[in-house]
Amino acid sequence: MKDMHGILFAYSSNVRLKELTEHRTASSIPYGGRYRVIDFMLSNMVNAGITDIGVIMRENYQSLLDHLGSGKDWDLSRKRGGLRLLPPFAYAGARRDTAVTAYRGKLEALYAITSYIEHIRQEYVVLADGDLIINLPLEEIFAKHLETGADITCVCLAREPGYESDAYLRTDARGRVKEVLLSGLDKDVYPCVGVYILSKTLLGKLLADSAAHNYVNFTRDVLQRMQGQLNITAYIHEGFSTRPQSVADYFRQSMCLLQPEVRRDLFSRKRPIRTKVRDEASTYYSPESHVKRNLVADGCIIKGDLENCVVFRGVRVEGGAKLKNCILMQDTRIQSGVDLAFTITDKEVTVTKGRALKGHESYPIAISKGSIV
Amino acid sequence: MKKECIAMLLAGGQGSRLYVLTTHVAKPAVPFGGKFRLIDFPLSNCSNSGIDTVGVLTQYQPHELNAYIGSGQPWDLDRLEGGVHILPPYQQNKGASWYKGSANAIYQNISFIENYNPEYVLVLGGDHIYKMDYAVMLEQHKRTQSDCTIPVIEVSREEAKRMGIMNVDENDGILEFEEKPAEPKSTLASMGIYIFTWEKLKKYLIADEADPKSKNDFGTNIIPSMLAGGEKMTVYRFSGYWRDVGTIDNLWEANMDMLSGEEIDLSNPAWRIYARNPTAPPHYIGDTATVSHSLVTEGCEVYGGVFNSVLFNDVTVEQGALVEYSIVMPGAVIERGAVVRYAIVAENAAIRSGAKIGAPPGMFKNSPEDWGVAVVASGVTVGPGKAVGAREMADADLV
Repeated sequence: MKDMHGILFAYSSNVRLKELTEHRTASSIPYGGRYRVIDFMLSNMVNAGITDIGVIMRENYQSLLDHLGSGKDWDLSRKRGGLRLLPPFAYAGARRDTAVTAYRGKLEALYAITSYIEHIRQEYVVLADGDLIINLPLEEIFAKHLETGADITCVCLAREPGYESDAYLRTDARGRVKEVLLSGLDKDVYPCVGVYILSKTLLGKLLADSAAHNYVNFTRDVLQRMQGQLNITAYIHEGFSTRPQSVADYFRQSMCLLQPEVRRDLFSRKRPIRTKVRDEASTYYSPESHVKRNLVADGCIIKGDLENCVVFRGVRVEGGAKLKNCILMQDTRIQSGVDLAFTITDKEVTVTKGRALKGHESYPIAISKGSIV
Repeated sequence: MKKECIAMLLAGGQGSRLYVLTTHVAKPAVPFGGKFRLIDFPLSNCSNSGIDTVGVLTQYQPHELNAYIGSGQPWDLDRLEGGVHILPPYQQNKGASWYKGSANAIYQNISFIENYNPEYVLVLGGDHIYKMDYAVMLEQHKRTQSDCTIPVIEVSREEAKRMGIMNVDENDGILEFEEKPAEPKSTLASMGIYIFTWEKLKKYLIADEADPKSKNDFGTNIIPSMLAGGEKMTVYRFSGYWRDVGTIDNLWEANMDMLSGEEIDLSNPAWRIYARNPTAPPHYIGDTATVSHSLVTEGCEVYGGVFNSVLFNDVTVEQGALVEYSIVMPGAVIERGAVVRYAIVAENAAIRSGAKIGAPPGMFKNSPEDWGVAVVASGVTVGPGKAVGAREMADADLV
C-alpha cells in the first residue's frame, strides 16, 4: 500500500496511569509480556504495507525514543521514508504561548508538524493514537475508504470496548455518519477508536482552517462541526481493543490476554505484532516451579509458583515465591518466599525475600520502575 | 579495506550423520537450544569477538541457510565494510567445480580473502556449540608468533580415541596430530577451529591444490603438511563448554545440556548468542499444563505435560499429551494423548492423538545398543495411534 502515510500521536498520558507513566508516555507502557503499547498501531501500519510513519511526541519521550530507535525492528529503517520521530519543533518553552505542557488536541499536534505534512509523498494519511491496543486490517480499511468514496473513514468498534472513546458515531444503513456524539450514553452508536483515513489534501485544508479559527480538537472541530459538509463513513471492527486509562484498567486489560480467543485476535498470525528484539534465550522452568495460566516472555528463569500472571522478558522468580494475578515487567527480580497478589511490578523492580503485597482487582498495587521492596 | 583478521565459516557439508534432519537444510541451519540454529554460535562468537567480516562457505541445500543469514543484521554483521558474505562455489574461466573439501573451499575463495588483505584468517565450523572469545586466541597466536593456532579441549582417554588428538611439547607447540588414535598419547582434542597467518596458509592451500592425491581437507592434508613443513603450530587451551553436534545423539545430548544452564550460560548479556527472531507472542502455559526442567519460548501453547525438554517457537502441546526428554522444533504440534519421549520432533511435524514417539533407555536394559533417540522429520505427520520406536526415524507420513 504505497499510497498511504501513517501518523501516530504518541504524546498523550493520563494521570490515572500513575506509576506506569512516571517515566514514559502512555504509548510506551509495556504490555502483553514483550510489547510496548505503540507496537500494535505501528505493526498494523507496517502489516498494511505502509512504509512511511511519523510519530508525534511532546514530552517524557525518552523511553519511546529508546524503544523505537531507527525503526529497524519494524522494518522501518529505510533510505526513503521509514520511521520519522517528531519531537516538538523548536521547543521554545515560555517564549511561545502554544508551548503548554501537552498538545491541546490532535489538530494542534498536527499543525505543529505542518512542514512535515507538506512533504508527505503519499496521497492518503492514516491518523492513529499510539496508545491504542488493537490488531486492525488497515489494508482492507483503506480499500473500503476508496470504495465508499468517503472524505474521512473512522474506525469504530462493534461493541462497547470497556474504555472511554473520543467519539461515538450514529450511522445510516450504509455506514455513513449521521451524528457525532462525545459521549456514548445511547445504545445505537459505535465507539470510535480514533483511527482516521483521509487524503493529504483534505488534511491540509482542515489544518489551515483550524489554525485560522484556533480549533484544536479533531473530534469536536472536524468530525462534529463538519459532519454535514463531509462524507464521514464508519468502518466497524469486530475484534478486541483496549486502551489503558488507569492502573486498574491496565491490569484488567492485561489479564484479558490469558484468554486464548483474545490472543488469537490480537496476535493474529496473518498480521503479527513486531517489537524491539532483545535476543533473550528461552524461558526456563525448574522442577520446583508450579505454573498455571500464565503468559510468559523469553529469558525468564521461573523457580516459584505462578498463577494468572503476565511475565515480561528477563524476569527471575526464585523458589518458594507465590504469585497470583500479577504482572511482572522486564527484569523484575522476585526473591524466595515472596507472596504477591494483584501487583504490577514495573521494569527492574526487586521484591526481596519473604515480602508480601496484596492488592485487589479493583485496586492493583503498582510498584515504580527500579524500586526495591 | 584492510582487516586484521577475517573469519571463514565452513557451512557447506551435508551433515549426513544427522540423517533426516538435514534432508532439506544444511547442517548449520539445524535448530538448536530452543531459539537458535547451529550457525548462531560461530556467528555470535565472531560478532562478540570483534570480527566483523565473515565469509560463509555454502554448498549443500543452501536456501534456508541463506535466507536465515540474510544481511547478517541479527548478529550485527550488516556492515558498511566487511560484514557477512555467503560464498557458494562459482564459475571461473578455467571451469567450475564444487568445493572438493574444506581446504579447497577456502582455496576457491582466495580472492575474496585477499580483498581484505588480512594478516590472519580464522577458519570455523558450523556445527559446534560453544562460546569463545576469538580475540583472546588471536592474541596468543600473535604473541607466540605462530603460523597456526588450534584450540583444544581436555577430554578423557576414552573420548580421545574418537577424536583428533594433538601431541604437544612443553610450550604447547604441536608435535603431532593423530586422528582417532587407538592408543592416545595425549588428551588434548582439536576443536576443529584454526587461526592461520594468511601468507602461510595461502602457500599451503596452493600447494595442496596442486597435489592431485590430496583430499583437500584441513585435518587430513593442510595441518599434516604444515607440521611436516616445520611451521610453528601451537594449541590454544580452551576450558569452557564445547560440543560437536554432528550426530543425532550428540545433538540431542547437547540440547539436554542447555536445560541446566550450568554447562553454558545462554542468558549472559555480556556474551549473547544472537538469532533471527520469529515474530511470535509470549508463550502460554495453560490450566492443565505441567512444565518442569524445560525450556519454552515464544509462540508456544502448552496444555499438556512437558518434562526435561526443549520446545522451540510456536510449538503446541495439547491437553493430556506428554513430552519428556525431547526436542520439539518450531511449529510442531503434539496432540491430545500423544506421548513423545527421548525424541527429536522436527519443524512443523504433527504428532496426532495417541501416537507414541520414542522410548526411554530403561526399557532396553538387556540390549542397550538397540536404544537411541527417535526422530520425526520436518513436516511429517504421525497419525493417530501410530508409533515411531526408539532409534527409528520417520521421514514420511505415517497414517
